[in-house]
Amino acid sequence: MENMLLVGLSRKMTLERQLDVVANNVANINTTGFKADRSLFEEYLRSPAHEDNFMHADRRVSFVHDRATYHDFAAGPSEHTKNPLDIAIDGKAFLVVQTAAGERYTRDGGLQINNQGQLVTASGDLVQGTSGPIVFQPTDKSINIAADGNITVVEGTGRTDTVRGKLRLVSFADPQKLVKEGGNLYSAGQGIVPQPDITSRVNQGYIEKSNVNSVHEMSRLIEITRTYTQISAMLQQQHDLHRTAVEKLADVPA
Amino acid sequence: MRALYTAATGMAAQELNVQVISNNIANMRTTGYKKQRAAFQDLIYDHVRRVGAQASDQGTILPVGVDIGGGVKTVGTPRLMGQGTLSPTGNDLDIAIRGEGFFKIQVPDGTYAYTRDGSFMMDAQGRVVTAQGNPVQPTITIPQNSSAITINAQGQVTVMLPGSTTPTLVGQIGLTRFINKAGLNPIGDNLFTDTPASGTPQDGVANTDGFGDMQQGNLEQANVEVVTEISDLIAAQRAYEMNAKVISAADQMLQSTSNMFR
Repeated sequence: MENMLLVGLSRKMTLERQLDVVANNVANINTTGFKADRSLFEEYLRSPAHEDNFMHADRRVSFVHDRATYHDFAAGPSEHTKNPLDIAIDGKAFLVVQTAAGERYTRDGGLQINNQGQLVTASGDLVQGTSGPIVFQPTDKSINIAADGNITVVEGTGRTDTVRGKLRLVSFADPQKLVKEGGNLYSAGQGIVPQPDITSRVNQGYIEKSNVNSVHEMSRLIEITRTYTQISAMLQQQHDLHRTAVEKLADVPA
Repeated sequence: MRALYTAATGMAAQELNVQVISNNIANMRTTGYKKQRAAFQDLIYDHVRRVGAQASDQGTILPVGVDIGGGVKTVGTPRLMGQGTLSPTGNDLDIAIRGEGFFKIQVPDGTYAYTRDGSFMMDAQGRVVTAQGNPVQPTITIPQNSSAITINAQGQVTVMLPGSTTPTLVGQIGLTRFINKAGLNPIGDNLFTDTPASGTPQDGVANTDGFGDMQQGNLEQANVEVVTEISDLIAAQRAYEMNAKVISAADQMLQSTSNMFR
């Protein structure tokens, strides 16, 4: 009889966790380059009773548990900002940034220049070029980032373009293996090697918004709350059944 | 329930976003104002099942993990230093910078501040000052009785003195630039001060070495675009509402649990 309680409980736990995932998506609805997460569930079958000599085969009890969260790497909408240091990546590539913990990958193209003239992310991590960090000179103006990631400037009173570097764009055979680290960064696990990406295009003056689809998230939210309430009601009925059974059975005829 | 706190970070972030947007809109008519933008990042993740962990004795590994995010944080409110449009005023002492550079202003405590607001005036001593009365650096004094003040693209100020047929050079307004102008610290009154993030100020002459040129008789408008701001405002407001919905959903779930087995 307790199986039902436990099955209901397993579903409630997964629903709570799914709500956590939805909450994180919605919280990051305005986060540059954010990729939504989705929950995956799987059935977990508990082995039946050991005795196999029943008239009918004992049925296995089916629980649910969360199997995985996967990243939805669909492109987010691009917003035109006209800021020369904003880039949106058209394609599946990532920018490479150097953090204290090692190389990390990001889709957040809201870039800045630090006090040494180096190209950095909003949190100050160095953006990597194909040959090291990209450094601007104090007299540089008219920064231009080409579609292939080449960065050119006009130096001082010059009239011609001077190359300051080329953005290192990488992609992964299986981007699902990337781990979200917070701070809009992804890390690659051991043995996962980024490949240079030559098909993706860089759009200067645009920024990639979060790919969270508010309609999806809201409908999922409704679904979660309704299912949760239903299971609560189901458990309540189970409880009532128990109580009635106990009362009836304990009702000694006078 | 974790979702409650996650959604609360989202509401706080959108509230800050609305504050930044409202300050942009409030300053859409402020000369030389540079708009700000709130930049957000996701918070650290709780790796319930880490990707790549061993799933069985046979060495199969999990292709995807269970990662639960903790919400959103504000990483900064970077200033977008794009050029504002120039509007002609016809006033001799209104100067707009077209391109890189800031005017250097001496503030009352003796230190320097920097501005893109070129609506200058003359004080009682004939010095060129900002609207607050702080002198422009290097200090330029316009002689009395002089007429026809001309400021050329390099910032050279010339006047016609009575009895003279040729203009007289009375000084040159300098410009200052920073390697990271987005890292300047705004102190109000359209002024910025340098910070460790901005890099050291580099003084120079307009229209040389990558500095912008000066446009006399013009003022630089704020680079705020109303349509963009309003659409950002709508997006921020809706995002706030959606986070509030998540909180009420979490609350509803808690309620259904607490109402069980009565």
